[in-house]
Amino acid sequence: MDVSKDLVAASATPLILAILKQHDSYGYEIIKRIKEASNDQIVWSEGMLYPVLHRLEKNGFVDSYWQKAETGRKRKYYSLNPEGLLELENHTRQWELVHSTLTAAMRGHASKEGEHDV
Amino acid sequence: MFDLELNITSWCDYLRASGTLSEDDIVELDNHLRDLVDELVESGLSEDEAFFIAVKRLGNVTYLSEEYSKVNTEEFWKQLHVEPVSTETQKQGKRDILLILLFSFLAGTIAKIPTFFGLELDSLAYFKNLSFYIMPFIALLFALKRGMTKRLVWPIIGIFVATAVVVNLYPSYGPHHTETLAGIHLPIMLWLVTGIAYMGDQWKTSQHRMNFLRFTGESIIYGSLILLGFMVLMLFTAGIFQSISIDIEPILENYLLIYGGCAAAMITVYLVETKKSVVENFAPVLAKIFSPLFFVAMLAFLLVVVMTGESPFAEREFLIGFDLMLVLVLGMVLYTISARNIHDQRNPFDYMNVALIIAAIVVDIVALSAIAFRLSEYGISPNKLAALGENILLLVNLSALLWLYIRYFRKKVEFKTIEIWQTKYLTVYAIWMAVVVFVFPLAFGFH
Repeated sequence: MDVSKDLVAASATPLILAILKQHDSYGYEIIKRIKEASNDQIVWSEGMLYPVLHRLEKNGFVDSYWQKAETGRKRKYYSLNPEGLLELENHTRQWELVHSTLTAAMRGHASKEGEHDV
Repeated sequence: MFDLELNITSWCDYLRASGTLSEDDIVELDNHLRDLVDELVESGLSEDEAFFIAVKRLGNVTYLSEEYSKVNTEEFWKQLHVEPVSTETQKQGKRDILLILLFSFLAGTIAKIPTFFGLELDSLAYFKNLSFYIMPFIALLFALKRGMTKRLVWPIIGIFVATAVVVNLYPSYGPHHTETLAGIHLPIMLWLVTGIAYMGDQWKTSQHRMNFLRFTGESIIYGSLILLGFMVLMLFTAGIFQSISIDIEPILENYLLIYGGCAAAMITVYLVETKKSVVENFAPVLAKIFSPLFFVAMLAFLLVVVMTGESPFAEREFLIGFDLMLVLVLGMVLYTISARNIHDQRNPFDYMNVALIIAAIVVDIVALSAIAFRLSEYGISPNKLAALGENILLLVNLSALLWLYIRYFRKKVEFKTIEIWQTKYLTVYAIWMAVVVFVFPLAFGFH
């Protein structure tokens, strides 16, 4: 199943933050873990990932540092900071709201199901 | 044989050329590409297959740079400062800057010493030695940076020392023509020798020589910019001290000019070398802007010469000016071709370049005939002979370039052919400069 481009773009931020919440990571690994977590359904392109990562860094949700990897090469690692953790919670709430709204709307009684999630 | 390192480097260069990625971004993507290649190789692919698939997966360069440009826009303008990527390069950067400071100071001090013995800054003896103050340090800087082998270091030191001894031991009698000529030709010869230090162990390959030519062009551009800033500083300093009625100019001239001049040269070569990927694109652009203008200027000049019948080559200074302009034309054509995309169709710039070379050849022939006339009329003199030699060298160079260029844009030969020819020809220049410096004084009895 292909996830639409808009949805991929919209979900990129929470997914990256969620992965970094587990432990510090780098671009290549993030893409791999998203692929695994989605059972190969979501495969990000590097051209999409890095700009988002860099924007998160610039907005102060994510920190970065250079470290020598086991390959002997320098690698840029990203880590989640407290600001980013708040942002992740914020995003998760929004996604849960959308998700519950969608479920409720499908069942035909949107108002009650959706309310207690807000 | 597939060379993975070479391919990754050139892929990174493409990214760099797009101009929207910072050096950090490139290191990060480079690492990503290598991770991908490693993974693919582990799964059983050969290195070249892995490389091509990895590159494909990363997306084409235009796409990547467009995506990056959305985030990086404000950072375009910051690229030129020397920003170290890691602690390792940071350490090296610090070491380099210390070296630059030390060498600028040493060069300035060596340039200062002769003045303690009463040598005037504008004297011939001082002028003659100008190249010895700075160039050995530039050569040393590159020798250190490249970690050059002793096999090359000693000959280079030897040339510098031997030249310094010979040039200063040669006597000089009025009207000092051979001495002046040596002073003019020496910097060019020694710059080419410095070039060997710049190119390192592979100084014979055309690729490295071409890099040296590019480096020279960029150094001239950035050196002019830095000197300009330096002059503004001097002017303002003199100005503000004048406002409190203190004449600071002697101090400025005696110290700031000498030390600042040496520092400007050192900083220029360092800046051009460390940031070559960012600044490299400037010479070709300037060349494109100015080649039509130079063409018009030369055409106008030729028209006026024909209409008035004036011989413009009566003075040595004018001849030098002409030769420099011809060299500039050579440089402009080379830079424009080197920046040209091989797959481009013939375009107006090609015709422009051909016209420019033809105009330069005509100017050179006019100069040559004027020199030949003066030689036959007034006999041989060191000045005329040097001018004759230079103009013949340039004529050969320009004609060969014209011939190769026409064949090149008819797709009969590759740019590489032009490159190889032009870089080989550098040796001829070096030899002629050495002849003027060493043989002319002997041949003309040091007059």
